[in-house]
Amino acid sequence: MSACAGEIAISCTSEDQTGVTTLHREQELDRFLAGVERRAIRIAEISIRDRDEALDLVQNAMIKLVRTYADRPSAEWTPLFYRILQNGVRDHHRRQAVRNRVMVWFGRPGNDDRDFDVIAAAPDPAGRTPDQQLESGEAMRSLELALQDLPGRQREAFMLRTFEGLDVAATAAAMGCSEGSVKTHYSRAVHSLRETLGEHWQ
Amino acid sequence: MKDRHDKFSDSEEQEFAAKAKRLFDESVQGLNAKTQSRLNRGRQRALADLESGAGFRSLAGWVPAAGIAAATVFAVVLWTGKPPVEEISPPATATDFEILLNEDSFEMLQDLEFYSWIDLDAELGAAANVG
Repeated sequence: MSACAGEIAISCTSEDQTGVTTLHREQELDRFLAGVERRAIRIAEISIRDRDEALDLVQNAMIKLVRTYADRPSAEWTPLFYRILQNGVRDHHRRQAVRNRVMVWFGRPGNDDRDFDVIAAAPDPAGRTPDQQLESGEAMRSLELALQDLPGRQREAFMLRTFEGLDVAATAAAMGCSEGSVKTHYSRAVHSLRETLGEHWQ
Repeated sequence: MKDRHDKFSDSEEQEFAAKAKRLFDESVQGLNAKTQSRLNRGRQRALADLESGAGFRSLAGWVPAAGIAAATVFAVVLWTGKPPVEEISPPATATDFEILLNEDSFEMLQDLEFYSWIDLDAELGAAANVG
């Protein structure tokens, strides 16, 4: 009888530990996602020029990360999350290209990304004087337009390295390429952006 | 051979990246309430998925073990429960059916109790003679 009671105690303790572990992991994931989601939405928005679509992509990336990689060490979450997000961005561009081809075939103009109104979609700056807002807003809009003209891989490398602050190894993991490729894409991106934006931008 | 990109120094590159980062951070700070609310809802939905999926995953973890256990039990039953070859009755032949359908056989089956009594009586008599 005492052995049976011992078994029950062990079973209860194990269940409690599992519950605590799940709760702890959920809290960790909550903190991680809350910390990354606002930068992620801006990165996705700059890439696909549509905030609603970007929100959908970020939410899908969150769900996929939680479903697939919740058990992985938290240090791996950032590159994994951005890898999922970047795959979503690439899929979006592929779908958009197909849609445009089909619309052209039917004799109707496709959904040209150039119709995107950067000013209307720009976020509301906070905590700055109107002059500062105007200056920063203009500079950011110029940067966004210049980024949109970059090849996709260069844009990814620049945004992950500069905006998200990932190191070369994490960026390579997020992009699914070698560290050497990341360095090349990043370097080309910086120099192309500087040439596009001109000296006065700095 | 110098690449055309090398005309920018490392410090200039770092300054450029720092300004881009500052502008980006300001744009992140300026996200409107509607967008932040939608992000929050998306995050909660993803985490709810973890809660519901955790139970499934823990249950799913037992599926392979349960399958292996079931297969093992089935194999053991098949191996140990297999009857010896000599115990297997031969299939009924046409002759057996002829005997059963024979009129005399039917009469014998009807008087089966009588024949059993005769057998028992004969055995008892033999035992008495021996005693």
